Amino acid sequence: MSLELVVFAIASGLAIVSALAMVVVKTPVKSVISLVLTFFALAVLSVLLSAPFIAALQVIVYAGAILVLFLFVVMLLNLTQEAEGHDERPIQRLLGLVSVVALGGLLLGVTLKAGAPPVPAAGGPIANVKDEIPILGRLLFSDHLLAFEALSVLLLLAAVGALILSKRRFD
Amino acid sequence: MEGAAMNAVVPMTVPLNAYLAVGTILFVIGLAGALLKRNTLSIFLSIELMMNAVNLLVLAYARMRGDATGQMVVFFVIAIAAAEAAVGLAIFVALFRARRTIDVDRLSSLKW
Amino acid sequence: MTLPLWLIPALPLAGFLLNGLVALLCGWRRAAKTTADWRAVHPDDHGHDDHGHAHEDHADADHGDHSGHNSHDDHAHGPAGPFLPYWQRLFHGVVGVLSVGLATVVAFANLVPYVAGSLATEGGLAPVIQTAYRWMAAGHVTVDVAFRLDALSAMMLSFVTFVGTLIHVYSVGYLQDEEGYGRYFAYLNLFMFAMLTLVLANSLPVLFIGWEGVGLCSYLLIGYYYEKDFAHAAGKKAFVTNRIGDFGMVLGIFGILALFGTTDFSFVDLAKQGAMNGNASISVYAVCLLLFLGAVGKSAQVPLYVWLPDAMAGPTPVSALIHAATMVTAGVYLVARCSAVFVLAPDAMTLVAWIGALTAVLAATIGLAQNDIKKVLAYSTVSQLGYMFLACGVGAFGAGMFHVFTHAFFKACLFLGSGSVIMAMHHEQDMRAMGGLWRRIPWTAWTMMFATVAIAGIPPLAGFFSKDQILGAAFGAGHPVLFAVGLFTAGMTAFYMFRLARMTFFGTFRGPKGAEAHVHESPATMTVPLVVLAFFSVVAGFLGVPEVLGGKNRFIEFLAPSLAVAHPHEVTHLTEWILMGLSVAVALAGIVLAWRWYGQAGATAQVPSAPANAFYMKTGILGRLVENRWYVDEGIEAGVLAPFRKIGTFLWRGFDSLVIDGVVNASAFLVELTGDLVRFFTTGNVRNYALSFTLGVLALAIYVFLR
Repeated sequence: MSLELVVFAIASGLAIVSALAMVVVKTPVKSVISLVLTFFALAVLSVLLSAPFIAALQVIVYAGAILVLFLFVVMLLNLTQEAEGHDERPIQRLLGLVSVVALGGLLLGVTLKAGAPPVPAAGGPIANVKDEIPILGRLLFSDHLLAFEALSVLLLLAAVGALILSKRRFD
Repeated sequence: MEGAAMNAVVPMTVPLNAYLAVGTILFVIGLAGALLKRNTLSIFLSIELMMNAVNLLVLAYARMRGDATGQMVVFFVIAIAAAEAAVGLAIFVALFRARRTIDVDRLSSLKW
Repeated sequence: MTLPLWLIPALPLAGFLLNGLVALLCGWRRAAKTTADWRAVHPDDHGHDDHGHAHEDHADADHGDHSGHNSHDDHAHGPAGPFLPYWQRLFHGVVGVLSVGLATVVAFANLVPYVAGSLATEGGLAPVIQTAYRWMAAGHVTVDVAFRLDALSAMMLSFVTFVGTLIHVYSVGYLQDEEGYGRYFAYLNLFMFAMLTLVLANSLPVLFIGWEGVGLCSYLLIGYYYEKDFAHAAGKKAFVTNRIGDFGMVLGIFGILALFGTTDFSFVDLAKQGAMNGNASISVYAVCLLLFLGAVGKSAQVPLYVWLPDAMAGPTPVSALIHAATMVTAGVYLVARCSAVFVLAPDAMTLVAWIGALTAVLAATIGLAQNDIKKVLAYSTVSQLGYMFLACGVGAFGAGMFHVFTHAFFKACLFLGSGSVIMAMHHEQDMRAMGGLWRRIPWTAWTMMFATVAIAGIPPLAGFFSKDQILGAAFGAGHPVLFAVGLFTAGMTAFYMFRLARMTFFGTFRGPKGAEAHVHESPATMTVPLVVLAFFSVVAGFLGVPEVLGGKNRFIEFLAPSLAVAHPHEVTHLTEWILMGLSVAVALAGIVLAWRWYGQAGATAQVPSAPANAFYMKTGILGRLVENRWYVDEGIEAGVLAPFRKIGTFLWRGFDSLVIDGVVNASAFLVELTGDLVRFFTTGNVRNYALSFTLGVLALAIYVFLR
C-alpha cells in the first residue's frame, strides 16, 4: 500500500464523513464547520490529483472566503436551530429519498462497473509536474481570456447585486 | 498546444474509479441534503457540496487525460461559485428579513 | 418635335391628381364650414332633425339617372343654386378638360404622322414601341412599362381621346349644379389615364393595369351618387361581375406567358409564325376562352351583361364615355389584339361568334320594351357590342373594330343627347312622360336623330357601313344562321331606336301639365359636343366604304398589319348588293313599324304609360317576357345567387360554426385542461420544484444508461 493510497483513503473518508455530518446535524454553525472540513479533505484530494493550485484555491476561496461568509450570515441572523416540527410533506420526503437512492445507486453502479478507463494515447497524465502554475496562467490569459474577462464582470455584478439585495429596503 | 500535454506519462497509483466513486458519493450526499433538508441555509450548503463533488470528478478526469483545461474549468467553477454565494447569501438575508423564517416550506410564493 | 407616348396617359393622371387633391382639400374645408354653420343655426339640436338644412346639400345631387323609379324631387332645383364657388368649378372644369385635351393633342401629334406614313407604305409602318422603364424581371420573363403605337392602338387612341375630350367638355355643362364636381372630374381624368394605358400598352400586364383601372373608375362613377342605394348597388354589381371576367383575364395572361414565354405583344407575331411552347391545341383553346371570359365581363356579353344596364345609375356623360364608347369596347380590343391567337383555335372563334350573336339578339329584344331612355340605350350598347364580337368570331376583326369606331361616335352622341333630354326634362327619364320635345330642344333632337339614323344602319351614315361589313362577313364565313340573327337584330335596332325617337321628340308632350314650358335647351358646352359627334356619326363610315360601292376600305387596310385576318371571306359583288339591300330593307321595316306603333299611341293617350302598353298589347306573351328583360336578373337570382347563398349559409352554419369554431373551442378547452393539470404541479413550493428537477435528471440518467 503506497503512501498515496493511504492519504487518499484518509482524505476521502474524512470528506464523506464530514459531508454526512453536514447534512445530519441540526445546528447551522456545525453544518458549516463540517462543510469546511469536507473542503479541506477535497483540497487534499486535489493535491493527489496533481492540482496544487486548485487545492490552494479550494482552501483560500472556498473554505476561507465563501464558507466564512456563510458563517458570518449564520451568526448575523442568529440562526441557531433548524426549523422545528415534523415534515408536513411525507410524500415529498419519500419521493426525495427514493430518487436520491435511485440516482446515487445508478451513478455508483455505473462508475464501479465501468472499471478503469483506458488512458488516451495523446497527452499524458500530469504527474511529476514541479510547476504547473505557469501552464495554467498561460492558458488563462490566452485561450480563456474572454471567459476570464467575462468572469471579472460577473464578479463585479455579483458584488453590486449582493449590495443592493441586502440593503434594508425590503423591510 | 500546451493544454494538451502537461508532462511525461506517469500512471496513477490510486485508480481513477476511486476518485469517481468518492465524487459520486459526495454528490449524492449533497443531493440528499438539498432535497430532504428544510433549512434554507443547509440546502444552500448542500448545493455547494454538490458543486465541489463535481469539481473533484473534473479534476480526476483532467489528471487521467493529462489535460490542464480540466483545471481551468474547476478554476472558473470556483470563481462563479463565489459570485453565486455572494448573491445567494444576499437573497437569503433579504428573504429572512422579510419572512423571519428559514423553512423552505414556508416559502411558497413562487406560484404567483 | 416628337412627343413621347407616355405623355398621353400621364397628362390625365396629372389632371386626376390635381383635381382630386383640390377637391379633397376644398371638400374638407367646406364640410368643416357646413358643420360650423349648422351648429350656429341649431345650437341645441343633436342631429336628429337635420333634414331641412343639412340634407339640402344632397338634394341637388339628386340628379336623375334613376333606374327603375321616377320620383321627382320638387326642390331639386331650388333656390340654393350651385354649391361650389364659381372659381372652383372653373378650376375643376379647366383642369379636367385641359389635361385630356392636351393628351388628345399629344395623341394626334403622334397619330397623324403615323397614320399618314402607314397608309402611304405598303404593309403599313412598323409599330412604334417606347419603353418607359423595366417594371419587373423574373428569370427570363421581363415586363417593361412600354407603350405601343400600331394600327390597332392608333385607331383606339384616336376615338378614345377625341370622344373623351368632347365628353369632358359636355360634363362641364351637365354637372354644373353638382356638389361632387371636383370628384367627378378627378374620376373621369383617372378613367382617361387608365383607358389610355389600356390602349397604348405594349404588354398584357400593362394592359391589365388599364383594364383594372377602367373597372375601378367605372365602379366609382356608377356609384357617383353614392347616397343613393341603387347607385352604389349598381356600382358593386358592375365591379363584382367584372371580377368574374378578370379572373379569366389573369389566367389568360398566364396562359399566354406559358404558351409564348412572353407577355408583350410580340406574342402576336410568334402566334402568326406558330412558334409556341407545346402544340396542344387544347391549351390554345383554353387560353382563348380565358381571355374571352375577360372580354365578356368587360364588354358585357351574355351571361355577364347584367351589370351594364344597371350602370346607367351613373351620370349620363359617364354612361356615354365609359359604358358606351370606350371601356366596354376594351373586350373587343383585347380579342382583336389577340386575334392571331384566336385564329389558332377555331372552336373558340365560333364560341365568340355565337356569344356575340346571342348577346346582340337578347339585348335588342329587351331594348324593345324599355321605357327608361337610358335603359334603351344601355341595351342597345350591349346589343351592338354583341355585333362586334360576332364580327370577331367570324374572323372579321377589322369589321368588328370598325364597328367599335363608328359606334363610339353615334352611341356617345345618343347618350349625350339623352343626357341633354334628361336635363331638359328636369331629371325625368321615362319616355312615356316625354313627347314632342323637338320643338323645345331642337339641337339635341336633330343631333340625336342623326345618330339614331346612323345606328339604325341607313346609308350613307356610319352605322350602315360597319354593320353591313359585319353581316357580310358573317354570311361570307358560312354562317347563315349568324347572319340571320344579325339581320333580325338590325331590324330590332332600328325599331327600338325609332321608338325612342318617336316617344321622345315627336308626337305631343305627355308630361305633367305646364311642365313643357320649363323644357329648355342645354348650354353650348353640351350642344357643341353633340353637334361634333353627330357630324362624325354621319361621316365616320366613309373611312371604310366597301369596294362594291366604288370606295376603298382604307380603315381595314390600315388595320390589317395588326390583325390576324385582314380580308376574311370575300363574297361576290352581287351577293354583297343583295345583303346590303336586305339589311337596309330590314332596318326600314323596323323604322316603319316603330313609327306606326308609337305614332298615335303617344298622341292620344292621357295615360303616360299608353305607348308601353302598346308594345305589350301588340306582341302578347313574348312582349311580357321582353318587358321583364327575359327574367334574366330573376333567373340569376334564383339560379346562381340563391344557391350561392345556400352554400354560404351552409358553410356558415355547418362549417364555420361547427367545424372552425369547434376546432377553436376544442383547442381552447385543451389549453384549459392542460392549465388545470399543470396548476396541480405548480405548488409554489421550492422543494417540489427541486424534486421534479431531480426526478427529471433521474429519468434522463436512466435513459442514457439504458440506451
